[in-house]
Amino acid sequence: MPLSAAKDVLSRALFSDYFVLWLCVLYAAIIAPLTPGFATPENFGNILATLLPLLLVALGQTLVLITGGIDLSVTAIIGLASIVGALAINDGNGWLAGQALATPAGVLIMLAVGAAVGTFNGVAIACCRMPAFIVTLGSMMAFGGFAVWLTQSKAINLLPAAFNRLGGNTAVACAITVVVAWFVHIMLSRSLAGRWLYMIGHNARAAHLSGVPVTGVRIAAYVASGVLAALASVLYTGQAETGSPVLGQRVLLDVIGATVIGGTSLFGGRGKVLWTLFGVLFLKLVDNSLNLLNLSIFSITMAKGVVILTAAIVDSARHRLVGRAHA
Amino acid sequence: MLRALFISSTACLLLFAVGCSRSGPQAGADGTGAETKSLTIGVAFETLQTEYWVAGFEAIRSDLKQRGYTMLEAVADGDANRQLEQVKNFVSRKVDGIILVPKDAKTCLPMIKAANAANIPIVLFNRPADRSDAKSVAVVADNFALAQETVAYLIEQAKKTGRKHKAAILIGDLGDINAIGRRDGFDTALRGNEAVVEVVARIPTEWNQEKAQAGLVNALQANPDISFVFTSSDFLLPSIVSALRSSGKFHKIGSPEHVLLGGFDGDATAYQLLKDGYLDATGVQDVNFEAAQCVQAILDLRAGKSVPEVIRDPGFVIQQENLAEKSPQMWGAQIARKK
Repeated sequence: MPLSAAKDVLSRALFSDYFVLWLCVLYAAIIAPLTPGFATPENFGNILATLLPLLLVALGQTLVLITGGIDLSVTAIIGLASIVGALAINDGNGWLAGQALATPAGVLIMLAVGAAVGTFNGVAIACCRMPAFIVTLGSMMAFGGFAVWLTQSKAINLLPAAFNRLGGNTAVACAITVVVAWFVHIMLSRSLAGRWLYMIGHNARAAHLSGVPVTGVRIAAYVASGVLAALASVLYTGQAETGSPVLGQRVLLDVIGATVIGGTSLFGGRGKVLWTLFGVLFLKLVDNSLNLLNLSIFSITMAKGVVILTAAIVDSARHRLVGRAHA
Repeated sequence: MLRALFISSTACLLLFAVGCSRSGPQAGADGTGAETKSLTIGVAFETLQTEYWVAGFEAIRSDLKQRGYTMLEAVADGDANRQLEQVKNFVSRKVDGIILVPKDAKTCLPMIKAANAANIPIVLFNRPADRSDAKSVAVVADNFALAQETVAYLIEQAKKTGRKHKAAILIGDLGDINAIGRRDGFDTALRGNEAVVEVVARIPTEWNQEKAQAGLVNALQANPDISFVFTSSDFLLPSIVSALRSSGKFHKIGSPEHVLLGGFDGDATAYQLLKDGYLDATGVQDVNFEAAQCVQAILDLRAGKSVPEVIRDPGFVIQQENLAEKSPQMWGAQIARKK
């Protein structure tokens, strides 16, 4: 009887939407006694502060992955939005230096940069029928290079304090991220647009025959990804108090890794905001704990890769089991 | 659905509540008796991509070990936001001091402020911060003077050839104040010597070997008569050698086709090229001096002593004439001998 109860609990945990969250809890429970400084309020504050911008980028990636695409240009968008925003609002020689509305205007400019790159990607992929991988890889290189060229790779600081607070103040960054995540969740789970995204991911041809505006929805997914990457750039830039063309250059693997760990399919048609949140949380817990264990960068990179791979294998096996159970 | 939203919101709120309940500034260094207890020092490097940074990292590790201190290490792999998280980790672990190699002079300011707020002394190794109200100490080489002296030596060699030379400079990441100092040292040394050396190529490398190689290959195609090359860092020397070799311009000192070659850092490749007679001169940073000064500055700050904002490593220029005399002090030579 206790054995069957344990099996029941295990089976429920395995098939639950919260599987990755349970993994997070299990991981934290195991690692906390072994890692000095892990289970402290200050450290949880650090994890939260670094989790928020990553979650925003990952949410955009989730939308694109649900349609069966991929957006590799998010890192270039983060850098380009950061440097353009900083050029506009820095108190030294910014176009909007000293203006009362410099901060909101700067944020809007940064979001517009994200939307512009996203539109370019979306149109090239949906209208010109080019592969998402190649288009966004090209965008990453072109717009990333453009960002570096703009200031000859120089970083820009002296940003308004109000702007820095958007990312530097965890409460403000958390409020922004929760509102955006909630909006994306409602859009995906309760709106027609959300259903269209899933339909396109499952079968774009069938979706088209059913009257779904496939081209428009695909473009919108890339625009949303661009805007969310730019919003993440607002937080990253605020945290660093500096606009930099190479900001976020190394987060691509974390973004895709966290999204896929959460359970979003690389082949489209499957993904949830909640899953992405848990994926990002898991990745940040792993990253943070390995750092605190005082491992070398080489060991951390290897360990992180193994953990991501293991989580992905477990998740894939879980979905196969779910598929069999439903068959 | 409602259950899902409830659970996720609760999880976020819990994380948020715990995250926001940070304690205020920690009482860290009290300045009394600090040296008698075993200290824990956080060492955060932006990268370990080049031999110089690895040598610096190991020199700090060795210095701390000799003093019986514990070292916590973190490498940000070129990501400024990640480095901020790592420094905050050090702060939350209440380390006794932080040694930092920042990505650039600006993104490190929030890190310094975080250490200041926790009353933890912070010393920047080899890369100073921009001027601000954030308080830190920087131990840096005199990039300008050392580059100027190295290039002045190359100009003297150029004069001896009795002909005019066309020059290329490989410039580092201009977001790095060290790269700017070295470029300015190069320009200042050349001023007034335009009749001997004319700069025909300024190659931006962003501290990237591939960009350095591609840039120099392009410059050599556009100006096949380039005969004077200065690199802002020795870690780009393999790219330069490759570009010169593919253009048929890699010849030893003494050959009429020799390209005058100068560098900066003093790594093992530079030592080998000096020994083999291909490199004319390089400005050497004293890694062990800089590492020892970083640790000493933390101890002095903890003891409440006055420490200058910038501690200069004078370094030295090593060239063919003083190679035997100076190579024991060259960190790259020490590494080369261990290999």
